[in-house]
Amino acid sequence: MNDAKVTVRSKAGGIHPEHRFWYPYILIAPTMVTLVIVSLIPFLYTVYLSLQEAKYGQIQGFAGVDNFVTVLTDPRFWNAMWVALVFVLVAVPVEFMLGLTGALILNAGVKYRGLLVPLMFIPTMMAPIVVGLLWKIMFAGSWGLLSYNIFERFGILSGTSIFGSPSFALFGIILVDVWQWTPFMMLAFFAGLQSLPTNPYRAAAIDGANPAQIFFRITLPMLSPLLVVIALLRLIDAFKIFDSIFILTGGGPGAATESPSILAYKMVFEYWEIGEASALAVLVWLLFFAFCNVFYQVAKKKLHAF
Amino acid sequence: MIESYLIQRKGRRIRTAAAAAALLAAATVLPNLANAWSYAEAAAPYKGTRIVILDEVTPLQQTFAKLVPQFTEETGIEVDYQLLNHFEVINKGQADLLSGRGAYDGVMLHSAQTGLLLGANVLRPIDDMLADSKLTSPDMDTADFIEPAWSTTAKFNGTTYALPAWNYNVVYWARNDLLSHPEEQSNFKAKYGYDLRVASTMQEIRDIAEFFTRKAGEKLAGKTLQGDFYGIGLEGIKGGTTWGTVWNSFIKNWGGDIFDLEGNPRVDTPENRAAMRFWGDLWKFGPPGMAETSLLDVPTLMGSGVVAQAVAWSDFALGIDQPGSSEFAGKFAYSAMPRNTGYSGPRSAEGAPSIIVISKAGKNPEATYLFLQWMSDKATQTKLADTLGGGVPIRVSSWGLPAFKKSRHAQLYQAMEETLKYTQGKPRAPKIYEIFDVMSGLMQEVGLGKITAEEAAGRGQEALNKICEGKCTL
Repeated sequence: MNDAKVTVRSKAGGIHPEHRFWYPYILIAPTMVTLVIVSLIPFLYTVYLSLQEAKYGQIQGFAGVDNFVTVLTDPRFWNAMWVALVFVLVAVPVEFMLGLTGALILNAGVKYRGLLVPLMFIPTMMAPIVVGLLWKIMFAGSWGLLSYNIFERFGILSGTSIFGSPSFALFGIILVDVWQWTPFMMLAFFAGLQSLPTNPYRAAAIDGANPAQIFFRITLPMLSPLLVVIALLRLIDAFKIFDSIFILTGGGPGAATESPSILAYKMVFEYWEIGEASALAVLVWLLFFAFCNVFYQVAKKKLHAF
Repeated sequence: MIESYLIQRKGRRIRTAAAAAALLAAATVLPNLANAWSYAEAAAPYKGTRIVILDEVTPLQQTFAKLVPQFTEETGIEVDYQLLNHFEVINKGQADLLSGRGAYDGVMLHSAQTGLLLGANVLRPIDDMLADSKLTSPDMDTADFIEPAWSTTAKFNGTTYALPAWNYNVVYWARNDLLSHPEEQSNFKAKYGYDLRVASTMQEIRDIAEFFTRKAGEKLAGKTLQGDFYGIGLEGIKGGTTWGTVWNSFIKNWGGDIFDLEGNPRVDTPENRAAMRFWGDLWKFGPPGMAETSLLDVPTLMGSGVVAQAVAWSDFALGIDQPGSSEFAGKFAYSAMPRNTGYSGPRSAEGAPSIIVISKAGKNPEATYLFLQWMSDKATQTKLADTLGGGVPIRVSSWGLPAFKKSRHAQLYQAMEETLKYTQGKPRAPKIYEIFDVMSGLMQEVGLGKITAEEAAGRGQEALNKICEGKCTL
């Protein structure tokens, strides 16, 4: 076989732009420029700030790794990381399983699917502050719609409230997140299922495969790249949880729901410790950089994603 | 002929004397007329200037915003009076002051913010303008500003940084219909040995809280309860003003404090522990979810008839105690924070005296000062009180205005007046918000019974030692 590169000449006789070496870079340039401006430059500035001593919001001098040491030796940082870890390990799998189940049901064909899908997407479309206020009204200790009319009447959680209890507050936040983001997962998986080729299913039907075999041997492998990407995106997003905690608990009771984002917010906007807050942000980035690399390698080799 | 000459000479003397008297009178009166101070004249060099003022959005400021155009009419200085919520005022205001951008000429600060900003040296003193007779009205009467709120908030190390703006304060609030119910009074007397009334001591607050905490099915004021009823509502959310109330309305009334006279942290003391224990103990008589109850939720609890008494911000009580806002409007009783029977020292109450400071980066300090002076002067404060039908005064003389004296909320205003006699601005601690955050979290755990007051005091001491690394205050 002839592996020589074929050079296509344009009607004018020159090399067609598609085959010039710079052509692909031109095409992705607008995106890259935007990413550099809105992501890379702010990130690099954050790294710079993390190495500075900032007092009263003003840079006083070079601090080296002092800010990182301060953050890493602060029990509040480790508590925040623990809160985020619990949140991610519970919320994301629940959203994943419920979303996948819902997508399979939708894909199997339900009545009024065209009406159900937009309705189910409402929680995801709602502004975070609205979601927070809604659930505050639902679960408010002594007058909430659910807490008073249902829980208290049936003696469930009497004498306490979900968001006022250090034992339950984080799970209350998880519940809110599951309510808000499961529809997103469901619709993303549903779109993926809809785009799968039908031939393998016909062949499986002919061969007499049962539904479980079809799901585990055909659907899951074909869907795995999408599942992996959606799960990773949701995982990263869940770790950054801020809005609902800010509105519902402020990071309390105690520090039961103080996530890294909430802690960073307080460090910047209440304590004005810009250097330390930047160090916290850089540490979280490093953690995710390492995690995403491992995730990518595993997903590529084992799940044939990417 | 001689007679006519003498008559004419006498007439000349009389006319001369009259002219001299007229000249003398003119010499006395005309200079005073020429020196009569007016905003129009004082603002003449700044006419056409535009200033931007950042303030907090509450019904008080929303009403004041309607009066602001009158200042522009009078002086020709255009005012962009911007109102934002509590968090945004703090974030945006501090960011502008600390960055030195000068987007705002005047920024509203709660007293707790002054430590950080004084430490950063971004506030413009106003002593020079106060002493300038062209800029400051001779009728300003700074002695009429409510103290100690003004001095403890606006002055530092002998320098004045602002005039008073708003004097938010915390009062004791109770259901008068329950306290005055004959059956309840009789039962209370039988149990506690003294008359049921608006609490005059902290210990009475506790007894009333215990007495009125009842389950669904029990009787309250002759009626059977459909749901649980609680003795007291308190703010308990992390952050907010939870810690401020514990500190100033409870701890200081036990003779405690979290700083010593030099500003070093002093949390783990017997007085502080006793006050924390007392406050935490009150949670037994509160509704579930006190750990998520904010300063906005406390008035809701009172207005909804869920609790018998509360410790709350007086401006929110004003909003609830209105026909149409609550079925119990008109049935509330108010007083200043009761005294602790075990402590005879100076009384204390939580408050948030607020000022509007002039940014050092601001380009129009004189025009801004004139606006702030106009805002605080007696005429404007009277107009504001008349428009609001009351309000939160910054002047002692305001309490005598009909808007307060003849208001249906006269008792609330008396409570506010009493409270403001011992409301102070927060100490100048640059890291005060970090301290608030840690201490409110610890107090939540005390209220929830997760830790004891002793543990909270110990952990609080450790935390403040770490946060402050020595002295906490400037």
